[in-house]
Amino acid sequence: MIDRSYQKLSSLLTIITFLVLFSGSAGAVDLNSLVYPALNQIAIPEVEEIKLDNGMRLYLLEDKTLPLIQASVRIHGGSYLDPVEKIGLAEFCGELLRTGGTEKYSSDELDELLESIGGSAETSIDVIAGSLKLSMLSSYTELAMDVMAEILQRPVFEQAKFEQLMVAARSSVSRRNDQPSSIGDREFEKVIYGKDSPYARHTEYATLNAISRDDLKAFHQRVFRPENVQMAIWGDIDSKQIVELVKKHFGAWEKGKEPIPDFPKVDYQFDTRTNFVDLPDVSQSNVYIGHLGGRLTDEDHPHRIVMNNILGVGFGSRLFKQVRSKAGLAYSVYGVFTANLSYPGTFYNYVSTKSESTVKAIRMIIDEIKRIQNEEPTEEELKLGRDRYLNTFVFNFDSKGKIIERLVYYDFFGLPKDFLNKQMEMVKSTTAADVTAAAKKYLKPESLRILVVGAAEKLDEPLAALKNGEPQKIDITIPE
Amino acid sequence: MQKYKALFTALLAFVILLQPLSAPAATDFDFSALEKSVFEHSLDNGLKIIVLPRHDAPVVSLVTWVDVGGADDPKEYSGLAHMLEHMAFKGTATIGSRDAEKETKLMADEDRIFERLRLERLKGRLADPEKLKNLQEQMNKAIANAYAVIEPNAFSNILQSEGGSGLNAFTSRDQTAYIISMPSNKLELWMAMESERFFEPLLREMYKEREVVAEERRMTVDNRPMGKLVEEFLSTAFKAHPYGNPLIGHMSDIQNYSREATQRFFKKYYTPSNMTIALVGDVKPETVVEMAEKYWGRIQKRPAPPRIATVEPPQQGERRLTINDRAQPAMIIGWHIPAETHDDMPALAAFADILGQGRTSRLYRRMIRDEKAAVSVSSYAGWPGSKYPSLGVVFCYPAPGKTNAECEKMIYEEIEKLQNQLLTDEDLEKVKARAMASFIRGLSDNMGLAQQLATYQQIWGDWRQLFRELERINKVTPQDVQRVAKQYFTASNRTVSSLETIVEKASADKATATGETKK
Repeated sequence: MIDRSYQKLSSLLTIITFLVLFSGSAGAVDLNSLVYPALNQIAIPEVEEIKLDNGMRLYLLEDKTLPLIQASVRIHGGSYLDPVEKIGLAEFCGELLRTGGTEKYSSDELDELLESIGGSAETSIDVIAGSLKLSMLSSYTELAMDVMAEILQRPVFEQAKFEQLMVAARSSVSRRNDQPSSIGDREFEKVIYGKDSPYARHTEYATLNAISRDDLKAFHQRVFRPENVQMAIWGDIDSKQIVELVKKHFGAWEKGKEPIPDFPKVDYQFDTRTNFVDLPDVSQSNVYIGHLGGRLTDEDHPHRIVMNNILGVGFGSRLFKQVRSKAGLAYSVYGVFTANLSYPGTFYNYVSTKSESTVKAIRMIIDEIKRIQNEEPTEEELKLGRDRYLNTFVFNFDSKGKIIERLVYYDFFGLPKDFLNKQMEMVKSTTAADVTAAAKKYLKPESLRILVVGAAEKLDEPLAALKNGEPQKIDITIPE
Repeated sequence: MQKYKALFTALLAFVILLQPLSAPAATDFDFSALEKSVFEHSLDNGLKIIVLPRHDAPVVSLVTWVDVGGADDPKEYSGLAHMLEHMAFKGTATIGSRDAEKETKLMADEDRIFERLRLERLKGRLADPEKLKNLQEQMNKAIANAYAVIEPNAFSNILQSEGGSGLNAFTSRDQTAYIISMPSNKLELWMAMESERFFEPLLREMYKEREVVAEERRMTVDNRPMGKLVEEFLSTAFKAHPYGNPLIGHMSDIQNYSREATQRFFKKYYTPSNMTIALVGDVKPETVVEMAEKYWGRIQKRPAPPRIATVEPPQQGERRLTINDRAQPAMIIGWHIPAETHDDMPALAAFADILGQGRTSRLYRRMIRDEKAAVSVSSYAGWPGSKYPSLGVVFCYPAPGKTNAECEKMIYEEIEKLQNQLLTDEDLEKVKARAMASFIRGLSDNMGLAQQLATYQQIWGDWRQLFRELERINKVTPQDVQRVAKQYFTASNRTVSSLETIVEKASADKATATGETKK
């Protein structure tokens, strides 16, 4: 059951005082005079949690507002398990689970069945987990359970569908350098985690050609086991009926023989590196500056959230004010500190700026990273940094799907149910000194890795002028 | 950049939004209760208010819907509706200035210098280069001076720090929309600020923002192959109606926008009677009306804006165009069809669904599943707009090693089948079931629902039409679909545009080198 302490949230939110960055006096509207009523109570619904004998976990939430049954299944295991010569294996498996047919339904039959009733079921597998999302009219509840059982337990990876997928996969490899920003996103992951890291690598013609249907079947056999599965179902459902149907369809599912290996560790040395991808034709550079990030469970992560909001999130942030508003060097500039549960995230700052101001913009960003370590935020900055989080907190609870999916995610990693609430409390009490301490502890302006995707010849200064390691060119030619 | 992306997505989303809805065959859910809980009110100045109270969570989705779009752009100022959407985030006389009095004066300086610069530029080759250079320098200085007395981004900042989520806006050919969700206790803040920006907008940073829009154009059209293709396609398909004009504007027009022209456009189209606000969430209608009277009621009633009289004349023969680019091939084919309110639209929507929407569609099965000629193919009825007569379109990306020409042939063959063979009732039942399910799903999302209510209010003059669409599609017969297939999808009524890859020998065959898949 969910912790009822969430309910005190409403009273907490109401005592947040209101102050507006507001100037001018002649207007008809005086925002400072507005008094807001208390926010209505956030009703946190009770989620029923059940564990089957075979280890599969079930989460149920009844909500009769609309005649829909919705499901979201999380499967532990992802592309981090791909053998090095078969990168793409997990991703293809995720795609074909739904589109490659099952023992009971051929791919055509399944498409026909779902589309004739306006139902949808889609699957995918990313780096750390698989997902199945289903939505149907609740009058088809039994069918919904049958379809999920087929997709998760008995996919057949039809040959024709496998071939169709290969055509699409080759096409996307061939199109992957069409946009500078997608080149940058892809290559910066490799700059941080290493080009062969399971958290950064990607398919090539060679790796996708090495994947066979038998590989897909073996991957499915290994990963799709009840102890790896968390199934959340909500909407216009009768919990008793769902439990019966789940037992009928999933009760006999056998446990796997061995547990899935843990998420690999990230081997990271803090150092300085400057990399570039040379695109002689472009007029704008895409720039990434950062280093390894952290985890959601780091004890002072809430302080880091406020710190990052002040540094790089939104219109009032230091990066935005300095690089865009004051210097006019960019339309888009921001900083992000991602904190995962499975493996360390990334701290990175992004700017897109015209070629001729690239090095200037990089210097400015590095200065701001240093400044947030040394210069305490003003009252106004601190307030903005906290309010951005606190005032939007209610949107963590504005749909049943968000509530139940977060519960599933936290439950997998063993987080307490009041985790988010505790985080919020800590954001609320963050001081200027906390912000500076978090910046000193987690940001390393002396050990930055920089990636520039742009036209090397057109830059305002050579990248070597940054003295951030010898600039290394990254070759993005697509290997045969 | 972000906004323009949203704008393009909105074009496609809008098509989907207007898809007709089907009969409640598979559920006995009673929609009339939902319909009855919708509250509407008009202020004396003509502003329309639509409220759907929903108290599941203490949040509310808020939409301001203006009946003006790219189609309404003045001839010499293409893209002005979109420019105005940008300007609406620049604050007001009371929000965003450090020194209002000084700012007024500095803005007047900008305007005066720009007018001289503009007139000199219009002399073309006869312009005096020295004078141009001098005026441009003065202009840059005036822009910098005006910028020094403003509080940049104050408007967005206030809303976001008070809990605003998903603050955004989009411009389509048919409308301009401003959207945000707020904690419901901040309703009054939104009422005050949203009304203020349309009561007393201050077009500050006008000349600086033009450069941002110009960058947007470079990014989304000039340097993006698909953006270029769309622009060329539409300007070829429409010879008379403004649906053929670029939504973001021609570069030369963008650089010619003045504050005065933008202000004039605002006065003409942002009249209260031309706007609807839709609110879905944790609010009480009586509170909404009370606040609306207080804040939106300040706006003076003004005459209704003019509407577009130009009607696209019947097309006299097929039109074709090709652009060459380094990117992979793609094609867009379009046929003229009527506006959303026309009686043929439900049948055309059914036709588009069966032809090219989803994994059971004719084009998917033939081109992606069976012949592996394409990696993506889809069709829509009512793009790039739906308020005026528009297009039925097919978008297609050929598979590696396959050509636009091969794909085009298959697309026509599948259309011919729909012209020659009558659908079964069962085929149509599926279309109706799909529409029904997606209608119900749409009801679960406050923001989506607020936008739908506003859309139907604009296009039909009555939000209730949202709930009438079911009846509309229920009347569609196989004969209707066949008739519209024959009537509209003819060779002489179509425009065919393709992007062909510039062949660089070394890399051209790479994607197809391993044509055989591993078994």
